[in-house]
Order: sequence, then C-alpha cells, then structure tokens
Amino acid sequence: MNLYEIRLLYIRELRSALRERSIVIGSLLVPLLLYPVMLWLAFTAITFLQGQGERFVSRVAVVGLPAEHEALRDEIAEVESVELVAAPARGEAPSPGAGEGRGEGSGWAGTLEEAVVTGEVDAVAEFLPPQASADDLDGNFRVRLIFDSSEDRSVKARQRLVEVVDTYRDRWIRRQATDLGIEDRAWEGIRIERLDLATSDERGAFVLGMMVPLLMIIMIAVGCFYPAVDTIAGERERSTWETSLSLAPSRTALLVSKYLYVATLGGVAGLLNLAAMTLSMSAILAPLMGDDGAGFEFRIPWAAMPLMAAASVLLALFIAAGMMVCAAFARNFKEGQSMVGPFYMLCIVPVLFVQSPDLTLNLRTALIPIVNVALLFREAITGVFDVPAIALTFAVEGLTIAACLAVARFVLGFEDVVTGTHQGGIGKFLGRIRGRAPRRPMREIAS
Amino acid sequence: MKDSTDLDPELKAMPVVVFQLSKTFYDESRGEVQAVDRIDFECHPGEIFGLLGANGAGKTTTLRMLSTILEPTSGKAYIQGHEVRRDPEGARRSLGFYSASTALYPRLTGRETLEFFARVNRYPAAGVDERVDYLIERFGVGEYADARVDKLSSGMKQKVSIARTVAHDPPILIFDEPTVGLDVLAALELQNVIRELKEDGKTIVFSTHIMSEAERLCDRIAIIHRGHILICDTLEGLRARSGAHYLEDIFVHYVRDVGGDTPDDAVEDASVEVLDSAVDE
Repeated sequence: MNLYEIRLLYIRELRSALRERSIVIGSLLVPLLLYPVMLWLAFTAITFLQGQGERFVSRVAVVGLPAEHEALRDEIAEVESVELVAAPARGEAPSPGAGEGRGEGSGWAGTLEEAVVTGEVDAVAEFLPPQASADDLDGNFRVRLIFDSSEDRSVKARQRLVEVVDTYRDRWIRRQATDLGIEDRAWEGIRIERLDLATSDERGAFVLGMMVPLLMIIMIAVGCFYPAVDTIAGERERSTWETSLSLAPSRTALLVSKYLYVATLGGVAGLLNLAAMTLSMSAILAPLMGDDGAGFEFRIPWAAMPLMAAASVLLALFIAAGMMVCAAFARNFKEGQSMVGPFYMLCIVPVLFVQSPDLTLNLRTALIPIVNVALLFREAITGVFDVPAIALTFAVEGLTIAACLAVARFVLGFEDVVTGTHQGGIGKFLGRIRGRAPRRPMREIAS
Repeated sequence: MKDSTDLDPELKAMPVVVFQLSKTFYDESRGEVQAVDRIDFECHPGEIFGLLGANGAGKTTTLRMLSTILEPTSGKAYIQGHEVRRDPEGARRSLGFYSASTALYPRLTGRETLEFFARVNRYPAAGVDERVDYLIERFGVGEYADARVDKLSSGMKQKVSIARTVAHDPPILIFDEPTVGLDVLAALELQNVIRELKEDGKTIVFSTHIMSEAERLCDRIAIIHRGHILICDTLEGLRARSGAHYLEDIFVHYVRDVGGDTPDDAVEDASVEVLDSAVDE
C-alpha cells in the first residue's frame, strides 16, 4: 500500500465529490446550515403565529354575572382582543338580539355549550352561585369557563378570559380582606418561591445534551450516506468503477482512499454540525424559548470540543465502513440507497433510547457502539468526564471499526462483489457464504 | 505451470504472454460457466494483436484478466514480465486499458483526467505537466481541456478517453471492442489513432467482432470461440491455412470446424454482427 497513491486517489474522490451537488448539500450545507435555518424558520413561524394570535379577536359571552360584579363585564369589554357578545342566561329561551354590553344585537339559538361547539361564540364565562357553605362571604362567586379545547380560537378565548377574571378576583379578594381588617401579609402567609441552583450554562447544557447527540449522529450518518453510495454504486452506474479497478494502485489502496474519503465527509459533516450548533444555538434558540430562554445559556463548552471532535471522527470511521460494506453489493445508485438505508436507520434508532436522562455513560453503556458515543457527547456537553468510560468508549469504537473493516475486506475479497457483478444483494451473499454456492475470494484483496 | 523464470528467453522478450489461462464464473441459473478455457498466445513487441470472436466468445474476459480486473481461475499471464496474479500493480502500470466499460470520471476536466491518470499510473512526476500538454495537443483536446468531462460530446469524450489510456506512456495497450457504439467516422478516426500508437512502438491487444476492423488493423489475429482460441496467425497465414480469402469466411470456417460441435448460434451471431458492421461502415 502506497501513501502517495492513496493521496492521489483520495484527492480525486474529494475533487469529484465537491463538484456533485447532492454530496455538497448532504455532507456540507445541511450540517452547516440546518440549525441556523431550521431555528430561524421556527423562530419566524412562532413569531408569526404569535402575531396572528394577538390580532385574533375572541368572541366571548358572560352569563349570570351578579350585580356586584358588573365591573368585571366592563373589564372584559375593555380588552381589545375580546368582543363581548350577547347570551341568554342558562334556562332562558334563546332570544336573538337580546344583547347586553358589547355585542348588542348578536344572538344565537341553542344552549351555551352548543353555541361554543358550533362556533357562534368562542368561550362563555358562566357565573354560578357559590356552593352552599356557612363561611361564604357576600359576593363570593364561581365562574365556569365553557370552551372547546379542540379549537384553537376557543382555547385562546379561554386564556383571555382567565387572565381578566384572575386579575379581577385577586383585586376583589384583596378588597374584601381589607374590608375585614386583614392585612395582605396575614392572608398571604404561604408563598412558594423558586431557587434554581443550576446556572444558566448548566440549564442550557442540559437541553443541548438531549438534542445534540441525536443530531450529531444523524448528521454524521447523512454526511457518509451519499459519498458511500456514490463512490461505489455511483461509480458502477457511471461505468467508472472498472476504470478505477484498472488503475495501477493496488485494490487495497483504492478501497482505503475511498473509505477515507467517505469518512472524511462524514467527519466534516459532524464537525460542521458541531460548529453550527455552537454558533447558532445561543443566538437563535434562547429567543425561541420566550421568557424561559433568558435563564438558559446554549453554549457547548470549549473543554468538550476536542473530545466531541475525536468521537465524531471515530463515529465517522465506523459509519463509513458500515455503509461501504452495504454499498459494495449495489450495482447502481438506487440499489445503493436501498442497501445503505437500513444501516443508516440502524445507526439512528439506538440514539433515540439515549434520550432518557437516567441513562449515563458508564463501563456498561460504553460497550454499546453508537450509544456510547451519544452518551459521551451528552456528558461532555454537561461537563461530565468519566475517564475510564470515555477510554472504554474509544476502545470499543476502535474495535468496531476494525471489525467493520475486516468484514469489508472479506466481502470485497469476492470477485463478483468487487467487480459489481454480484446479483441479489446482501441476502444472497450471506446464503452463498453459508456454502450454497462456490466462494472464491480474490487474491489481491483477500490475501 | 510456467513462472516468469520458466519463460523461454524468446518469450521473456514478449510484452504479453498467456499460458493455459482459464476463467470460470458461477452463474445463479447456469452454475459454473467456463468463459475462457486454457488459452495460450503471446503478443510481439510493436504489433497489433487481434482477438476476434462473437459475443460471449471470451474476448472481454480474457482482456479483463490481462488488465487484472478479473483474476484467472487457472493459468498464467504476463504483462511486460509481471505475472497478473502475483504482481497485478506492476502489470497495470505497464498497460493502458480502454473499453466501453471504462468510462471517464465525469466531474473532472479533461486536463485533470490526464494529469490524474499519468500520476496515479506512475509517469515520472517531473514530466507530468509536459506529458499532459503533449497529449492535449496530440489528441486535439485543447479547446475543451478545461471543461468538465460530463459536458463534452461523445466524440470529445472518446479523444480524452484514448489520451487517458496512454497518459502514463505504457508499452502495452489493450482495446476491448473500442469502436462499439461509435459512428463510422469516429470508428475510422479511432482506427487511425491505434495505427499511430503502433507506429509509436506500442504493443496493442485489440478485441473486436467486426471482421473488417480486424482485417485492416491487426498484424495477427486469434479467433476465439466459446472460450477457446481456435487459430492464431497473420491474416495471410489464416488465408493460407483456411483456403478462404475474406476474414468473414475464415472465421466461419474455423467456428464451423470446431470438432463435434456445430456452433450454429455463434455463426448466426457473428453473421448478424458482420451485417451490423457492414451497416455501420
């Protein structure tokens, strides 16, 4: 194996790849721009929807309001985003046009509930007499908010009613207490206060730790996917595979250069993704979280970067090897995609189980490929560095890569696989190595 | 089995030597298929050696074994003294392989293609730029040397393809049915190029099923049928041995003469191909 030849072949692969739109998009642009663009889109959409929601006028009705609380009707009527419509009291016959306050002239036919369900009104505040109790004071009231939770407009109307009624109730309670000679501090004796010991960095790291491992692994797999398919199945489809086989360098050099090229693009996709997340998360994600976002600092710690970068490279080497083994059986791009697709899913699915916060990187979880790297990412982001588990993770990933390369060497040792004339995909190949058909490894690779 | 050290001194000087070369494929429906069966031949320095046969005769399999794309099941082949199984890299460095299945890398330019092939096949690094310029001028690809290959017309691609085959200045060139799919003018142009390469001293192994092409180009012709070489001689020698004048008749004579087996299908195939070639030309 000659390094000069590998370098020439590798550069040729990279040069070709960087001129292929689908590879540039899949391996470079998506990892780099996905988060900024995706988060910007989400931010814009949320802002737009919020704006739409603010402009939306809720039609609400107030029914059975006691005389001493008439002020509440005025307060509801004063809310700009609320239109007060007329409604009959429960038990009264519906009488179109029997309006009260704003909404005079509007009317409906049917019960209050039907009016909400049919959309004649978005929500109804129905005042009920207090439940019979000796301790009730004059003017105590109950409000039933009638709304339809399957309708966004109704939910919004309920929210608006709750805000006004809550404010009114607090003020009324305070006034009643004062009238009874009770000071605020006496009846507000039990208060709940929050003391969050996590810093904003730690809170942000927790959120990132849940998101980043999954996204990193997806991006590395996406980064490897098209190059792996293109460099084998794509070449066969373009009839350049035999051109490559007829070059002077050894088959091993040829395959090593292709492998390094696929792993490079996978690794670069991972690193670009890491950089994009680092740069864009705090600027875009925090505002997305609204008021809560002020308490979060979305930043991947610099100390975690080298470890994450090294783990990304290892993962890229593993995924590249696995994908190339699958792609080896494909004769064209379409076959390549369908053969590599399951391996892609195999990489992603284990990471979904890592979303449980209870799962940590330890000497047992470090033995599971991909899961160990996902946990390593998460713990590195949150500043946890369990050195023995990290060392074991690297060792396990290294062994997995070696195993994949051994399988690749075995598979590509078969002449029809390496020349692209094998028919029937992986299943038939497995049947064949179980002895149903002759196996005749090629000397140049298999020896 | 002969090794390079076993070669007669006379054979040692031959650029291409083939001994008892065989290739067996496994086919799902047919089982083991003997594509090439213990063939022997050698090519003399500076000659155009033709492998003439119908489709499926074993021409391409033979040439793929010589270019080390396929590994022989048994037997030996030497390219400039490099045994194809023991030293495939050495064999590949010594030859240029051109066939319909060895397309150009579409995303490289013509110039990048030539430079890549020269360097990777170990043309002396100091002379690569000069060599590329020479090839661009010689094959008339100057106007589109910096255009991506996938933007070129098929005629332009063909020129770049021949230029890349000789980019590292190999002593041996293998052309596997190079004129398939070409129009008459392009095919004639390619034949002229092959003749020029011969004049440059290259040894050329050339496979075809087009009789007129073999007649016009080849110094010696081997008729291959069902994996066997039936006869190998100069055109004059073939005429003298068969008593027929035209290569088409000679071909039919030998193919029909296969002992105990009347290969009607092959003759029919060949006739169709002759007809095709006549139409082409």
